[in-house]
Amino acid sequence: MSEIELNRRQLLAAGAGLALAAYGVSGCTVGRPIDRSAAGNIVEPKIDGDLLIYNWAQYMDPAIKKDFGEKYGVEVTEVNYDNLEAMMTKLRAGGNYDLIFPSGEYVNRLRKEQLILQFNREGLNNVDDISPFFQAQWFDPNAEFSLPYTYYTTGIAWRTDKVDTMTESWNDMSNEQADGKIFMLDDFQEGIGQANLINDFYLNTAKPDQLEVSKQTLLDQKEGLRAFSTNSSTNLVSGAAWITQAWNGDLVYARNQVDDPSIFAYETCKEGVPVGTDAMCIPVTAKSPGTALLFMDYLLAPKNAFRNVNWNGYPQPVAGGREAFAELVKDEPSIDVNLDELKGGENEFRLDDPEARKEWNRIWTEVKA
Amino acid sequence: MRTERFWNWFLAPGGVWILLLFALPLGLVLALSFGSVDDFGRGVYGFQLDNYADVFNAVYAPVLLRSVGYALVTVVLCLLIGYPVAYFIARFGGKWRYVLIAALVIPFFVNYLVRTYAWVALLSDEGLVNNAIVDLGLSEAPVQFINTPFAVIAGLTYGYLIFMILPLYASIERLDRSVIEAGRDLYGSSFQTFIHVTIPATQAGILAGSVLVFLPTVGDFVSAQLLGGPDTYMVGNLIQDQFFAASNWPFGSALTVVMMAFLAIFMVFYLRRAGKGEAEAVI
Repeated sequence: MSEIELNRRQLLAAGAGLALAAYGVSGCTVGRPIDRSAAGNIVEPKIDGDLLIYNWAQYMDPAIKKDFGEKYGVEVTEVNYDNLEAMMTKLRAGGNYDLIFPSGEYVNRLRKEQLILQFNREGLNNVDDISPFFQAQWFDPNAEFSLPYTYYTTGIAWRTDKVDTMTESWNDMSNEQADGKIFMLDDFQEGIGQANLINDFYLNTAKPDQLEVSKQTLLDQKEGLRAFSTNSSTNLVSGAAWITQAWNGDLVYARNQVDDPSIFAYETCKEGVPVGTDAMCIPVTAKSPGTALLFMDYLLAPKNAFRNVNWNGYPQPVAGGREAFAELVKDEPSIDVNLDELKGGENEFRLDDPEARKEWNRIWTEVKA
Repeated sequence: MRTERFWNWFLAPGGVWILLLFALPLGLVLALSFGSVDDFGRGVYGFQLDNYADVFNAVYAPVLLRSVGYALVTVVLCLLIGYPVAYFIARFGGKWRYVLIAALVIPFFVNYLVRTYAWVALLSDEGLVNNAIVDLGLSEAPVQFINTPFAVIAGLTYGYLIFMILPLYASIERLDRSVIEAGRDLYGSSFQTFIHVTIPATQAGILAGSVLVFLPTVGDFVSAQLLGGPDTYMVGNLIQDQFFAASNWPFGSALTVVMMAFLAIFMVFYLRRAGKGEAEAVI
């Protein structure tokens, strides 16, 4: 018994110690201060060292890296992250990556946090042909911190051999023909976003009463769901999904997996088509920012965009990339997007207000709970 | 005395290891659980209780209850499957017993995530099992196995079964056979002997196995994520989402601390029972 008491006392002491430690670090941010001395510099496109790319896996044609390395005599290395939060954590800890591929939202956060470098587009060869919508998006209004890599739209994919009552509306997410065979993207913005569009609200609404209505929509939709998942192509190919909310790139992938691609169709919805961008940025801690900028320009060259799109199946909003994607989806043109229709940008996800972001996350968690 | 001090130094590497890679990170999690999130979505250490107030929001009660419920069912299933297996190997395995144990352990060298993906491939609507069912005419339409609570529990049971079998095997193997013979001598049927002699005598293994299965199962997120449906959200998924999707590390930390405190209750209960069992054994 005395032994247990001793343990208890030790436990209390340890607890008090930890509480003291907690009090000691109070006010500090997770991570350590990093060297931001380069933050004011404007990067020029010139070779200044080997290139370290930090990217999603399977997101870039390795041949492009190889060719670039041979042309400029540098070593190109790629390491991967499996979510953007992990990427942010590494950057905040001072990781020396030269090139990253964040979504628009993350570009916004990186820019505000001074974690990415400014550059001048004037010295670049392939930026003039970027589709107008992607020239200067909300997260980088002066087009000085990012270049577009790929873009994606959100719509609904379905099995043409199982379902024949689609209506080009987000209401198809509760189509009774596919009851219990419907998947919703496991992504708080996509989930709440489509509910907002059904209710005719602004995609990024922060109004509490509107969000409450959309939450109810989601809870109603949940009744007919089979699961929340972002593995849309797997769910389609395995036969689990008859209807699934999906990014257009996943459809290209799913259709490549089966003998008869016509069983998978895709629709964009009349209430609104959410569109997202993955951009290219240079972290403030980059060792070879000039090489990185040169490589970004190289990726946007028509020849490289063409082979990259053919390799990963995601559309790129530049010459070569547009044509390659149109060719990839010529049997199911709805997967492609008319870039001219994207003006205005009201269907881009942007939750710049931290409070709104928290509120959206709370609602999403409560829906899933 | 001097030699004792010498041997104490052997604790140092392990002690440093535990301190740096276990106690310190745990302390950071605890500290962050009192923190908040800044405008960039970064965790900021602080001293406030908001995150704990959120943890005890009624909305999350079903998630916690569900996790505990799944874990309890998993423990029972592991016991029902694991006991006969352990019993057979320990008592009738003979010279094959180590081979049999190895055969059980080797699949667990493969990453849990990969093994769970294999279940998805096997049990999906157009997977191997369903193709066989339809081809054999057992059912006209494929049976929906995955994306159900049953699939989640099956995944958990498969994932943690070995943690039940090994302690059971150890305690059954140690069981003195003459005790069973004595039970039979006293006119107990095989069944009665099993219930009144074998099970009480292997109680320590049952308890250890149950705790070893219960603890990781409550916090599991892989099974629910890959095999679950819309209503199988577990506390592990909730915590994972706070870190990787919601950028709310402080809330995720508070959830972690509360879950650990809750599990510690079971651990203390187990240690006391185990301690008592040992004392009785000495008497």
